[in-house]
Amino acid sequence: MNKLKYRSWKNKFGVFIICFFSLLTAIPLFAIIIKVFVKGIRQINFDFFTKTTPDTFDAMLAVNNGEVIPGGVANGIVGTLLMVLMAAVVAVPPGILCGIYLSENKKGRFSSIVRFVSDILQGTPSIVIGIVVYAFIVVPMKGYSAVAGAISLAIMMLPLIVRSTEESLNMLPSSLKEAGLALGASYSSVVFKVLLPSAFGGIFTGILLAVSRVIGETAPLMLTALGSSMVQWNVLRPSSSISLLIWECYNDPNMQSMIWSASLFLLFVVLLLNFIAKRISLKWRM
Amino acid sequence: MMIMKLKIVVLSVFFATCCISCSNVKTEISGAGATFPLPYYNMVFKDFSDTTGINVAYGGIGSGGGIRSLKDGIVDFAATDAFLSKAEEAEIAKSVIHVPTCLGAVVVAYNVPEISSLRLSADVLADIFLGVITKWNDGRIVETNPDIVLPDLNITVIYRSDGSGTTNVFTDYLSKISDRWRAEIGAAKSVSFPVGVAAKGNPGVAGIIGQTAGAIGYVGSEYAFARKIAFASLQNKAGKFVKPSTASISAAASANIPADSKIMITNSAAEEAYPISCFTWIVIYREQNYAKRSPEQAQATVKLLNFILSNEAQSKAANVHYAPLPENVRCNALKSLKSVTYNGKAIE
Amino acid sequence: MKDKVVKILTFIAAVIILIICGGMVYSLVTGAVPAFEKFGVDFIFKKDWQYTPDNEQYGALPFIVGTLITAFLAVIISFPFSMAVSLFVGEYFKDTKVAAFLGTATELLAGIPSIVYGLWGFYVLRPIMVGMGLSEQGFGIMTSSVVLAIMIIPYAASLSSEFIRMVPNDIKEGAYSLGATKYEVVFHVILPAAASGISSSYILSLGRALGETMAVTMLIGNTNTLPTSLTDTANTMASIIANQFGEAAGLKLSALIAIGLLLFLITALINFIAKMIIKKYAI
Repeated sequence: MNKLKYRSWKNKFGVFIICFFSLLTAIPLFAIIIKVFVKGIRQINFDFFTKTTPDTFDAMLAVNNGEVIPGGVANGIVGTLLMVLMAAVVAVPPGILCGIYLSENKKGRFSSIVRFVSDILQGTPSIVIGIVVYAFIVVPMKGYSAVAGAISLAIMMLPLIVRSTEESLNMLPSSLKEAGLALGASYSSVVFKVLLPSAFGGIFTGILLAVSRVIGETAPLMLTALGSSMVQWNVLRPSSSISLLIWECYNDPNMQSMIWSASLFLLFVVLLLNFIAKRISLKWRM
Repeated sequence: MMIMKLKIVVLSVFFATCCISCSNVKTEISGAGATFPLPYYNMVFKDFSDTTGINVAYGGIGSGGGIRSLKDGIVDFAATDAFLSKAEEAEIAKSVIHVPTCLGAVVVAYNVPEISSLRLSADVLADIFLGVITKWNDGRIVETNPDIVLPDLNITVIYRSDGSGTTNVFTDYLSKISDRWRAEIGAAKSVSFPVGVAAKGNPGVAGIIGQTAGAIGYVGSEYAFARKIAFASLQNKAGKFVKPSTASISAAASANIPADSKIMITNSAAEEAYPISCFTWIVIYREQNYAKRSPEQAQATVKLLNFILSNEAQSKAANVHYAPLPENVRCNALKSLKSVTYNGKAIE
Repeated sequence: MKDKVVKILTFIAAVIILIICGGMVYSLVTGAVPAFEKFGVDFIFKKDWQYTPDNEQYGALPFIVGTLITAFLAVIISFPFSMAVSLFVGEYFKDTKVAAFLGTATELLAGIPSIVYGLWGFYVLRPIMVGMGLSEQGFGIMTSSVVLAIMIIPYAASLSSEFIRMVPNDIKEGAYSLGATKYEVVFHVILPAAASGISSSYILSLGRALGETMAVTMLIGNTNTLPTSLTDTANTMASIIANQFGEAAGLKLSALIAIGLLLFLITALINFIAKMIIKKYAI
């Protein structure tokens, strides 16, 4: 075969394979999302956002009558909101700074160790992180709290943020940094005004993935935030979260449909974060 | 710059929230422990909060987790399905009291097409779970069910993969009725079942039973009743075949119960008793001044326990498929609550 | 002056990660000591996990094997899909509506709680497995690996697509101007340029797979024995910890924490080996 024809064929085949596998990926993707939507949408009404979880008796009556379960997940929404916000505040700045450090100091023993440690942290099961935060924070504080929950979530977010920041910065051509420095800008200005904005896409994806991951985590929160049936604004007291509510509803015979609606809500939140992230990164993109 | 500004805004909101909430002086209690009584506790805690305004935060992290939390002094009470042994109490160092809160049961759920009622004698049940009896039309099962036709179907045993009080109660019963079970497998929150498939939680077990013809497994009563799962009648110590119900569960607690209620009431000798019934307890420190707790906190804790033991809360147990405490147990528990002190003085 | 502050801050941030890790190791080691005292280093290689009240035998081997098999299988299964999606979104159909749609949908997958994955696997995947005759009950390594693969696609796909997108245009244009086809540009220019980022995203997704608890524990069958084939039921380290931690005490608790420590060490080992391999084949 003509060399050119072969290469052209390979090219077309490549496109075909990419499209084929992407389509295949889309199948379970949409299957799951649609299932969550279909099973969950019924339960979502105004009460869902404003009332706290019903007790199992009311839920049972509703289920027996084929009605929508009364009450909602307000306690979970507030808890998740507070804890994820706190976790982001705690994890994002150190994460980005650490990523900057690793990108600026590519070689060196210390950097390799930190990189290594960060990847191990990513592989730690969430329950182990919960156990450790319980020992170091809950016990000294003599109480379960949303703060402890937020800290365990922050630990889980760190590796993703660190590595995505580092790799995004590494992807930038060195000419960018050199040009900035050559123009006389200080090191910190170059980092914060040139490098970070250019790498924003990657960094934001890392933060988004990190938040998406922890928003659905249950195990560490069981050991740190405990749970609560009331809306709890005090971050020093036990607090619920949507993920904890999903777990409680899983174990309760009468609240099964809440699982799907709570998950649907989480999907909406992740979708919203996605849109916000895309808008911001578009604004920053050169 | 924008990020900086955003961060500042976020931080200030956060601090504001903290400040606002820290000034909130409403007493709140927290407890952790068993998942077995969770539906009942959720209901009672909500009623308590509606009546007294005191919030109760409860986490169903498992009896072991609850006791650990109590030991570390981070909760006001722990809930457990298995009362503490002397060794475990010694580990806690400070004296604790067990307050029984309600009765529950473990039912034997099954899925055999077209069979809506099943009677199992004690040794048959044990041998099914030991893997000795493997088919539904085995002669020994037919013996106790003469009026139904059992199919030639394999028995699939389903058990709990996670540690649980339900397993503890079930294996406690099996150990009492089968020497072989007691010797080879024993009773604990998690045991090595010789045959069968593992599933997580009551929903896991019930889910698989529902989807597998020929399956048999053990499920908490509140779950089985609420989901209307088919369950078997078991032969109790007195020889009668009893279906689990509020009445038969309460009957199991009618025999001699010690004042501190620390007893497993499986295989009860009472005539109408359902043989796999159990108490569930809340454990608190006798001396409530630990970890710098305020007297209000101690008062709120004792108030909650008095509320759970009140006739009002007990009568609601049946609504969610638990059984109320028999009167003598309830009175003993109320009496033991009076011995709880704060700095040595009894609490109002 | 400001430069110095920034440099110190970034250094401190790096140290914080080390402190967190150190704290974790310390916590795990102190909890695991009783188990190792009783069973010695053999704990890692023993395969019994029995407990009658007077005879407690704990060994970690079945869980180690289960974890490794499911995690690696999941990464292998997810590789073609996440690679395809990242190329689709990052290069082939870059900046089109379809790509945005697919990219967002992939990222949504990351936001689904693992319980829901477990439930979906239980109600949808299990019957498929049984129907295909692969497994009696539908539980097992295969089922949980497939669900795990779906779960980790977003991590590799989203991050990789960003890195692919960030490859500077001039090297791509250089290759095109030399007459390369798109396929050749992708495989000989873009992928090598983004290789470091892409491989780290796969390591991150492997990490996710190693530590995933809920979805795996609902689908893996929870038998504490060594699996002999891909359709066997088994158990993973994260799963046994999650299942038993709430109710464990004494020696059992210590054994569970020891397993947590082992998971930590094994993750470290795998990461180390993976980096060695990547370094060897790096351009």
